[in-house]
Amino acid sequence: MPAMNAHALRSVGHPPHPHPPGDLAIWVFILAELAAFFALFITYAFTRLRHLELFAEMQRTLDSDAGMLNTLLLITGSWCVARAVAAIKRNRCRPSAHWLLAAMLTGVGFLVVKYFEYGAKFAAGIGLETNLFYTFYFALTMFHAMHVVLGMVILGFVWRKALSGGYSAQDHRGMETGAAYWHMVDLVWIILFPLVYVMR
Amino acid sequence: MSVHFLNVVWLALMVATVLTWLIGKAGQPRPALIALVLVISALKGWLIIEDFMALRRVRLFWRAIMLGWLMLTLALILLAYWLGLR
Repeated sequence: MPAMNAHALRSVGHPPHPHPPGDLAIWVFILAELAAFFALFITYAFTRLRHLELFAEMQRTLDSDAGMLNTLLLITGSWCVARAVAAIKRNRCRPSAHWLLAAMLTGVGFLVVKYFEYGAKFAAGIGLETNLFYTFYFALTMFHAMHVVLGMVILGFVWRKALSGGYSAQDHRGMETGAAYWHMVDLVWIILFPLVYVMR
Repeated sequence: MSVHFLNVVWLALMVATVLTWLIGKAGQPRPALIALVLVISALKGWLIIEDFMALRRVRLFWRAIMLGWLMLTLALILLAYWLGLR
């Protein structure tokens, strides 16, 4: 037998899947969303260059505890969805639905934290037009929060179908589709949190 | 993907988040710490793409797009931050 390294052997045993999990259309949508967030992040980073003092001063007024809590919530939501997919692959329909419900609750928690965070800012007289930094802050975080809401709606449909036994180990593409979108919402926040709250 | 591995990934992401937050809480972060924050973000994004999105066993084309987006975004943010130091 010709020399074959471990990687090649693994590849022979488990050839890579040609497509990512879920419907291909959701991945096209995800790439479009990621392109939009890319443009926003890079615009923020390079605009900051011309307003270093303003951005640093305003970033100190942000509630990084709320930002951290929301990061923990989104990561936990992503984990719950990954557990839901793992459960349905073992034909465990009810636990899978419960994991999806838990993920939606983390989304609710995220929006509650955002509500109080925005509320504190509005109470202090800070809004979208206060200065350039806060225009970016509200635009970025509100745009992201809209994606959290959309992600929860998608998960809601997936959850309902999971409750009625609509998925199985053989057929769970719809759940994987919803899961992919929810993970994208988490992935974007992983960059947004340090960029806006931490990097001064 | 084993459930145990997913749990480990979740725990790692939680710890990395708290670490990032602590760096921000400690006052004005030094440039080396900012670089560390971006490295942590890269690792977190990598875990989410490979293990939560389950792209680890998907053909290279899709992984390259997703991981490429992550790395390019963070690299440009690092460049912008570095230019701000000059």
